[in-house]
Amino acid sequence: MKPDVDRTLQLLSETLMFDLAPKLRDGYAQSTAQVVAMLLTAATEEWDRAAQRRFDENAAIRALFREALDLVAEPALRSDLETGLKTSDASIRITELERENSELRRVLVRLHAHVEELEGEAARSLEEGIWAELLESTVRRKISIAPF
Amino acid sequence: MQELAARIARYVDRRIPDAEDVEVEELERIHGGASRETYRLRVTFRQAGSSQQRCLILRRDPPGSLIETDRANEYRAYQAFHGTRVPVPEPLWLEEDGEWLERPFFIMEEIQDCEASPAALLLPPYAENLERIGEQKWRILGEIAGADPVDLGLCTQSELPAAESCWERELRHWEQVIDEDELCPQPIVRAAIRWLRRNPPAAAEKLCVVHGDYRTGNFLVAHDAEIRGILDWEMTHLGDPLEDLAWSINRIWCWARDDRVGGLLPRERAIAIWEEVSGLRAEPAALHWWELFSSVKAAAIWISSGREISDGRSKDPVLAFTAWWLPNAQDRVILEALGRLS
Repeated sequence: MKPDVDRTLQLLSETLMFDLAPKLRDGYAQSTAQVVAMLLTAATEEWDRAAQRRFDENAAIRALFREALDLVAEPALRSDLETGLKTSDASIRITELERENSELRRVLVRLHAHVEELEGEAARSLEEGIWAELLESTVRRKISIAPF
Repeated sequence: MQELAARIARYVDRRIPDAEDVEVEELERIHGGASRETYRLRVTFRQAGSSQQRCLILRRDPPGSLIETDRANEYRAYQAFHGTRVPVPEPLWLEEDGEWLERPFFIMEEIQDCEASPAALLLPPYAENLERIGEQKWRILGEIAGADPVDLGLCTQSELPAAESCWERELRHWEQVIDEDELCPQPIVRAAIRWLRRNPPAAAEKLCVVHGDYRTGNFLVAHDAEIRGILDWEMTHLGDPLEDLAWSINRIWCWARDDRVGGLLPRERAIAIWEEVSGLRAEPAALHWWELFSSVKAAAIWISSGREISDGRSKDPVLAFTAWWLPNAQDRVILEALGRLS
């Protein structure tokens, strides 16, 4: 599709925000139109990176799972880590990547809680790795209009 | 809108028995508190032979909203604080019967010629008075914290929650909201919840009315920079006064994109004003706990807004925008509070 989708979304956002919204006489309709324009701006920003950020994140979480296998003895969690490691992002459709991302992050929550309770240097190292990945996950998702 | 206006007129006619020729004019929906539909309107009528008019605000339960709340609690809070040093609009009628406007609602006086929008407050004529607005904001919050909920008629002594368990009740409630509404796993929010449980705060210094959403954007400022009304009491409850203070200084509300809390004042100044007026102490460790909690609660609200859209219970773009705009920023606020943002 040409012009590119992100360029077109930006055009729609600007048209709605600066051309159409000011002409609306009803105040509620006007502010709603402005909100829709901002949603389009956020969608513009997400468009190009949507697959890449999920792909990168899934790989980063699997790397943590690999490291965790040396440390986690609890059978159910260990099994879920192994299951996560067997998966791959064969499809790069957003819905598929998202489904995989949700599964991996669900296990990551349990792994994080488990590691917090473990003692020793290796556990602390893995915990730091998890925190670093969580921080990175917010960088991947950051949108420019967000307040922080 | 015409039909709604006619129905409101019929209701007002019933509530003011000696009014005649009641008409509703200039009815318009406004953005104001995403948990209820908010309308501005003017009612005209004849009473004892003379023409009268009142400018009113209608708050009606929506089909879907950000927060499941009890409208009666909100209404009672307006009643309790009206006429005190905490400025609020005069509440007029609470109607829980859906017969009149399809859904329950309440009506209150409109405080006119004011601004609430955080973005507008950063522009003239307010921008040069942000410090003054901030001083009032935390002074009023100190008044709320210092007030006695029993004296206000909001509860009896026996209905007050236990000072040592306020934190647990609030955390349990909002964790449950996240459990029910999350659309995807929340590893940062879950880590915060675990930290909060491992590090409970000291018991509340006193029990007070907690506004529940005390932030820039939820009060009305006149052109002379006076705060004329504290709004949006839909999450009000009894609890630890630090809950409101922590919420008010949450990083997510730093609208000026600098370190001024609420876009208005340096953090330490806001806390000092609150302590001076309330007579309470913002003990740093307890305040830190409540600040982190406030991010969990905020995250729960952003998550719920996404659920409303996703499940088709709401078509309000504001909820969709909230769900896109704020959760990641809130995660970063949590990371900062836990010393992990570097």
